[in-house]
Amino acid sequence: MAKYTVKRLLLLIPTLLLVCVIVFALLRMVPGSAVDQIMYKYSTAGITVTKEEVAARLGMDKPWFEQFGIWVNGLLHGNMGTSLFQAESVGAIIKRQLPVTLELGVLTLILTNLISIPLGLYCAARQDAISDQTIRVISVILMSVPVFWIGTLVLIYPAKWWNYAPATMYTPFLRDPIANLKMFIVPSILGAMTQAGAQIRMVRTMTLEVMRQDYIRTAWSKGVKEKRILFRHAFRNALIPVITIIGGSIAGLVGGSVILENMFNLPGIGQQMVNALSNRDYPLVQGCVLVFSIFVMVVNLIVDLTYKVIDPRVEID
Amino acid sequence: MAKSEMKKKPSFLHELFKTKKIAALGLCLLIFFLLVAVFADVIAPVKAVDGQIPTSVLEKLQPPSLKHPFGTDSVGRDLLSYMIYGCRTSVILGIVCTLLSTIVSLIIGVASAVIGGWFDLIVQRFVDAWQCVPGMLIMLIMMSILGNGLIQLIIVISIPAGIGGSRMVRSAAIAVKDSGYAKMSTMLGGGQLWKMIQHVTPNILPMIIMNLAGSLGGVIMMEASMNFLGFGVSVNTPSWGAMLSGQGRSNMYVAPWLAMVPGIAIAIMVFASAMLGDGVRDILDPRLKGGVGSYSGSKLKKIVEQKKQDLNMI
Repeated sequence: MAKYTVKRLLLLIPTLLLVCVIVFALLRMVPGSAVDQIMYKYSTAGITVTKEEVAARLGMDKPWFEQFGIWVNGLLHGNMGTSLFQAESVGAIIKRQLPVTLELGVLTLILTNLISIPLGLYCAARQDAISDQTIRVISVILMSVPVFWIGTLVLIYPAKWWNYAPATMYTPFLRDPIANLKMFIVPSILGAMTQAGAQIRMVRTMTLEVMRQDYIRTAWSKGVKEKRILFRHAFRNALIPVITIIGGSIAGLVGGSVILENMFNLPGIGQQMVNALSNRDYPLVQGCVLVFSIFVMVVNLIVDLTYKVIDPRVEID
Repeated sequence: MAKSEMKKKPSFLHELFKTKKIAALGLCLLIFFLLVAVFADVIAPVKAVDGQIPTSVLEKLQPPSLKHPFGTDSVGRDLLSYMIYGCRTSVILGIVCTLLSTIVSLIIGVASAVIGGWFDLIVQRFVDAWQCVPGMLIMLIMMSILGNGLIQLIIVISIPAGIGGSRMVRSAAIAVKDSGYAKMSTMLGGGQLWKMIQHVTPNILPMIIMNLAGSLGGVIMMEASMNFLGFGVSVNTPSWGAMLSGQGRSNMYVAPWLAMVPGIAIAIMVFASAMLGDGVRDILDPRLKGGVGSYSGSKLKKIVEQKKQDLNMI
């Protein structure tokens, strides 16, 4: 197990390097456009700058491999560069805003599983019954409804009918946990609803697949109670694919958090990134994307390592 | 499995309408949206001029009425007409992006599987890394570099989706590549390109087509999300997502219909393609056939019957 963990951690390094290449290439390979955009930004603010000045400030006057080397070298020394429009290092900005995104992500993940695992199991146990059909239709509706639309409605109607609006002033958790949760609860429920729609169906399918195995039939025939079959025999075996799905949904969760943070004015990395993009603040964008990617990579690693814990039969090499 | 072989195999559409009612409804809805998109110029009550709905300052923010069934927005555009032309945008994006991303996955996946070796290793490492970067972020960055517009949005949605989907194509292609006829082709002197086009691609095509309808919903949702964040089609192109995020949100207290109508439209379209995708997969995927579900209660009886039929087949 320890050997496998170390191996996986080492494998993260080339992947991380490739992620750096992708992020870097995305922003720089399109010739000149970042420089042009920044010049445009300055000229609308009434400041005249030459193309060379901007390029020099971005470090873009050097050949691309040298730029890449400088950036990666900085990363290795824990320096992600400096924001172009905020007088702060990218690292400091991200450090300040990471807790917000993490809290939203973790809350959404917990809520998603609290909704989807019991409902999915219930659907599998009562396959094709009315209750199963109803839950399945509801889950597809949840999947189809755009999260930003529900979000808009949540902002309109409660305000209109009961003069209630979700809090939009951020309070750190440690200062006032209640006010903090009040602010996070609505966006995380919304995020969880969309995720749960897909996940209920997955949990159902996976459990059903396990329910067709011979050992379940054996359990039935020796008279084991339904509850015990469902939880001890079926669900534990269905957990592996379910965990894979949870891991796979993390990337989608990040995308959703970008929308939710923008909508509910949560000062997280997602909101920061969209602002940085419209400001053409590319060092900041690079930093945000890198942090998100590392997050996804780490979650995937944890998911892979959990397999062994859940199912001792899983062979890891 | 035995049942469908014994009877004459019903045609695909017949099976869809007979056994998968919701999927059939999805198909009908998608055809409806397609017709609306094709005949937008005919059915829209207010015709677009140069792709834009005429504005009318006197009629701004009208609630739904007989003249304007969905009301008007803050520059007096008829929302129904806007929605009809917006449907065209969604349909074009949906179709083109789904096809383009499939082609991208096919090229990457098949080439990676057939060529194999170092090429496969490098490409797969790249795909791994690509999938670690959340798709939404890649799309936002690409959009901010390319600028807003329909063609840009098509590229930005298709390429990341294509790279992501290449995984599945690759694993399917590897299974085909090692089959007898593909090996025989190499022995007879067939080149790798020939093998890719003649043997591997046609054999994994059913699996790909099976997934087309399902991914359509994803594309529509992506388009709406990108427009919502302000990185979508250009301002002049009617788009459901843009209406919802722009006019819908800024006038949400005075004119809630501006947010309601596009939101419901997006939901219906995504719902329709998700349901159709599910139904198509259920019918075409052999792995999902023949199962009778859990072994509980009355279902055991069914299994016994099935087993009897299987024995009869032999």
